[in-house]
Amino acid sequence: MGKKVLVVDDDPDVRLFSVTVLEEHGYIPIEATNGEEGMEKIKQEKPDLLILDILMPRESGIKLYRTLRTDTSLEHIPVIVVSGIAKKSFLRSQKALAEFGGEIVPEPEAYLEKPVEPDVLADNIKKIIG
Amino acid sequence: MDINKILVIDDEEAIIRVLSISLKSDGFDVVTATSGKEGLKVFQKESPGIVLTDIKMPGMDGIEVLKKIKDIDSAAEVIIITGHGDIDNAIEALKYGASDFINKPIRDEVLTIALERAKERFEIKRKLKNYTINLEREVKVATTELRRRSSFLAKLIKSSNDGIVAADKDLKIVMFNPGAEHIFGYSQQDVIERMSLNELLSADIIDLFEEGIHYDKTTGELPWQDIDITSDSGEKNPVRFAGTYLYEKKKVTGSVAFFQDLREIRRLENQLVRSERLAAIGQTIAGMAHGVKNILHGFKGGSYLVDIGIERNDSIKLKKGWDMIQRNVERTSSLVMDLLSYSKERIPEYEKCYPNKIAVDVCELLENIANENHVEIINDFDDSISVVLMDPRTIHRSLMNIMTNAIDACLFDEDTSKNWRITLKTVQENNRHIRFEITDNGAGMRDEVKEKLFTSFFSTKGHRGTGLGLLVTRKMVEEHNGRISVASRLGEGTTFTIRLPYEMVKD
Repeated sequence: MGKKVLVVDDDPDVRLFSVTVLEEHGYIPIEATNGEEGMEKIKQEKPDLLILDILMPRESGIKLYRTLRTDTSLEHIPVIVVSGIAKKSFLRSQKALAEFGGEIVPEPEAYLEKPVEPDVLADNIKKIIG
Repeated sequence: MDINKILVIDDEEAIIRVLSISLKSDGFDVVTATSGKEGLKVFQKESPGIVLTDIKMPGMDGIEVLKKIKDIDSAAEVIIITGHGDIDNAIEALKYGASDFINKPIRDEVLTIALERAKERFEIKRKLKNYTINLEREVKVATTELRRRSSFLAKLIKSSNDGIVAADKDLKIVMFNPGAEHIFGYSQQDVIERMSLNELLSADIIDLFEEGIHYDKTTGELPWQDIDITSDSGEKNPVRFAGTYLYEKKKVTGSVAFFQDLREIRRLENQLVRSERLAAIGQTIAGMAHGVKNILHGFKGGSYLVDIGIERNDSIKLKKGWDMIQRNVERTSSLVMDLLSYSKERIPEYEKCYPNKIAVDVCELLENIANENHVEIINDFDDSISVVLMDPRTIHRSLMNIMTNAIDACLFDEDTSKNWRITLKTVQENNRHIRFEITDNGAGMRDEVKEKLFTSFFSTKGHRGTGLGLLVTRKMVEEHNGRISVASRLGEGTTFTIRLPYEMVKD
């Protein structure tokens, strides 16, 4: 049985792109359109990997990422961030949050800046969950 | 001249002696003469205030002495001493300006009364004279001051950069300074006494003027406001205008209007706006990278699906990929169009339109997306708004942009327990402006977001925004001579207010 990968993105085109890559490489894609829905799916489906957009309405991408990384029952799920913002900016924002009293959370397993080549995405998935 | 000095003239020394004793005891300073001729000499030397002279004397008689003394100094009081019953002479003496006459033999009490009266008259005359001199002096001072002030005012008016136009109560122009010549293009000769205020200014400015009087009846002053005037050559020149009615005894006697030339200021403002915009475009390009990355990602995804579709002859994949490419073509084009419309100047095209109708159209276009996101759109339209001359595209585009933002503000709101609501309100303002208010109860904004709203490329919307929507909106509103403003509280919502001027539709 193939591994389950949850794609969380509010942009349907980005989801379709990632889902197609997953299907093409024999994974089972699950979709969520925002952070809240993403959290529900994580609990229901227990995916093996999360492909996450961090820039979504209500900051729900970043919130999802931080909850995931601070919840002992979920922190083992690897995350690939696919985003239009540079990795530097994302890490800086996490550092700033930590300075303001938030928890220090580990970096994602992979950070891919858009536009992402399908092969690059597939390679990263393979590297993380085989 | 000394009122306490008396000259006594009589050819009878005994009488002089008696009178002298009596007058001296009354406190007078007495000088004497025994003939008319001598009397005149003493008068000139001593200048007494009162002369007491006998009428019948050898040589020069009393009447003659009286005439001569009055010639020398008309202020001197002359009392004539007449023989008993000599009424004719007495009357003649009075005719020549004698103050009084007393009969011989001289009775002390009569003399005292005559002297009292003479003193009083002298005093009154002295006061009158001083008063007259004073009055003349003051009139002179006042006249000089008046002349000085009026020439100062004339110079002020002449050298004022502001246009100053004064009219009489029939609106005929009576003053037109060089400043006004510069603004209106007419020369003084063309205007003064030849044109009426009605011909110089358009009807709505005259209306404004009259309205202003109702605005503040106590001063009759119209507060400064920005308007356009039409010059001699038909050019529309922007000016700041104020006026005042002139009153005299509560009746209007004329009016004065002041015009500040705003052409240069407007030119500089435009230049500033243009350079600000170019700077913003520079920042936009940096900021746009994010939007462009998202679009490129979409293209990549689309081509990936198309490739798979072609390879496997899978028409479903092909269709999905193609749709994706088309959607991203659309996004590219809206980004480019936004950039273009932001960087290019656009002159509004005024035409007949119904602002409320445009507002309804915008609400209908957004109805689906609002419903999908559980946002209710409420219309609150002012029914008194009718057909007007405005640029319908400015209204449509601005409302569309702000309403879309309002929906996003609800969508971005963390408090999902709210019933999200957007109210679009239209208000007719003083027959000259229409105000559009878009109020949402969504996420609201932090101050730092609010500050960045119009100043530079800025988006909080991730892949949704080009970061140009508000810039384009503000630009269009300002090109329509309107204003846009925003009030917002974090977590409570935002109100955008757009105020656009309109013109009445002329039949």
